[in-house]
Amino acid sequence: MTAFVLAEWRRLISARLWRWGVLAAICSGAFTALLALIGPENFDPPLPGLHTTEGTRVVLGLLGLLAFVPALLGTSAVAAEYRHRTITTTVLYAPRRWTPLVAKIVTFTAAGLAYGAITAAVAAAGLFTAAAAKGVTLGLPAGEVLGLLARIAVTMGVYTLLGVGFGALLRNQVAALVVLGSYFYVVETALMLVPGVNTLYPYLPGGATAALTGFTYLADAVAAQTGGAAGALLPAPLGGAVLVGYAALAALAAVAVSLRRDIT
Amino acid sequence: MTAVEVRGLGKAYGPVAAVTDLSFDVPPGRVTAFLGPNGAGKTTTMRMVLGLVAPDTGSATIGGVRYAGLRRPAATVGAVLDTSGFHPDHTARAHLQVYARMGGFPVRRTEEVMDLTGVTPFAGRLTRALSTGMRQRLHLATALLGDPRVLLLDEPANGLDPEGNAWLRGFLRELAAQGRAVLVSSHVLSEVEQLADRVVVIREGRLAVAGPVTDLYGDPGVLIRSPGADTLHALLPGLGEGVTVERTAEDALLVHGLPADRIAAEASAHGIPLHEITPVRPTLEQTFLDLTGGPA
Repeated sequence: MTAFVLAEWRRLISARLWRWGVLAAICSGAFTALLALIGPENFDPPLPGLHTTEGTRVVLGLLGLLAFVPALLGTSAVAAEYRHRTITTTVLYAPRRWTPLVAKIVTFTAAGLAYGAITAAVAAAGLFTAAAAKGVTLGLPAGEVLGLLARIAVTMGVYTLLGVGFGALLRNQVAALVVLGSYFYVVETALMLVPGVNTLYPYLPGGATAALTGFTYLADAVAAQTGGAAGALLPAPLGGAVLVGYAALAALAAVAVSLRRDIT
Repeated sequence: MTAVEVRGLGKAYGPVAAVTDLSFDVPPGRVTAFLGPNGAGKTTTMRMVLGLVAPDTGSATIGGVRYAGLRRPAATVGAVLDTSGFHPDHTARAHLQVYARMGGFPVRRTEEVMDLTGVTPFAGRLTRALSTGMRQRLHLATALLGDPRVLLLDEPANGLDPEGNAWLRGFLRELAAQGRAVLVSSHVLSEVEQLADRVVVIREGRLAVAGPVTDLYGDPGVLIRSPGADTLHALLPGLGEGVTVERTAEDALLVHGLPADRIAAEASAHGIPLHEITPVRPTLEQTFLDLTGGPA
């Protein structure tokens, strides 16, 4: 297995995608800095400023929404095997088809965590610098800000894993993006409006993500609109585990399907 | 010695039978040509041998083991398939390094196979910028990373210029001389005529013929031209079992099953003058076309 992981790592760093990944991670972090500089109080509609707990959480939570970017990169990397038809050679080298997929999962989860770490580092630097520049004290203690950023970094690692799982299952980058994107931005929101379904929310991908990032703006907004109480979210580690579970299901399905699929 | 054994292999895509009850061997130390027109089932067969396509019937083994059961597949079988590709952002060297790692081969092996296959001059070039001939060489280099005992090459000469083709012939013969089993598919007979020791010809997914290349030449015959053609036509079939005489023109006969000297002696004994007596061999191309149902 070590050989397969080394091979996937070599494959990753030999192509340009990883450079785009680093750039995207830095830009995501910088996005937080930009939001902090603008200040939530100047958003439309205005939100509580950085000096409040909510204001700081909103800025960090918006960063959490960018977790789909590393998911997309993970999907891209896996789908590339099919697009460029290197999958034939890969399967010839690894006839037990689950082995290269597991190697990809290990490799890209590490890469996704690295992505999250870069994003979090840039965001932390940007947030503290912006607050200092504006002469504002953040509404959360530095320790808590760093804790939330660490959770976002982990979320990005887990989302990369999700991207890899769905990429391997759907084998088409655009299809995987559409499925993941429409789920998170449309389907789950719609599901929340169905009476009864919202009690499942903590276990749905969005709810699990909210638990992991600690950003509950969406859940709260839906609860407010529907007049219901915001469902209690899972503890962060459990939310993470639920997400890993979804990724594992996608990966298992991908392996099960690929075992039977002829490669032509 | 590792050989490929194909036994009763069959695969249908819906109502279309791609390969039917196909059996043949690829022995070590020989180059076996796998011939047939496009669409005859060559690629499907190779994919079944390599475990990429699941056969409906029969089996294909390498040294007695199915491909998926090989302990170190890439160190046992090297394959070049026409549909495999490269990541366009990878250099030729990076591509080989990925698969050297995957196979657990030392990284210096990439430099060795690049030297062997002539990839070294463009090792640093992105694969997107490689010519078809360069890509074929890189495919071959990938197949050789594990120093495999068996090589299965699907149309490896595609896109090679005459010089590259001559190089490939010499290279594959050398690999076979080292004791490897080499299978080379082609739809062009002339490509493998000078290369192969053995042929496996398939037509519409079924075996047409398998054996030494010399078998493909068919029975030699003797063409005779004589004003006594009528007499000879009546006389010669009585000279032995399986002698056939075919009239090809008013004064010409094509005789199978008798050597030229017997025919000459017989004609002389009956006082029949011979204007021409020529041993003839059907061309390999003609035999191939007959076997594969192409235009005569």
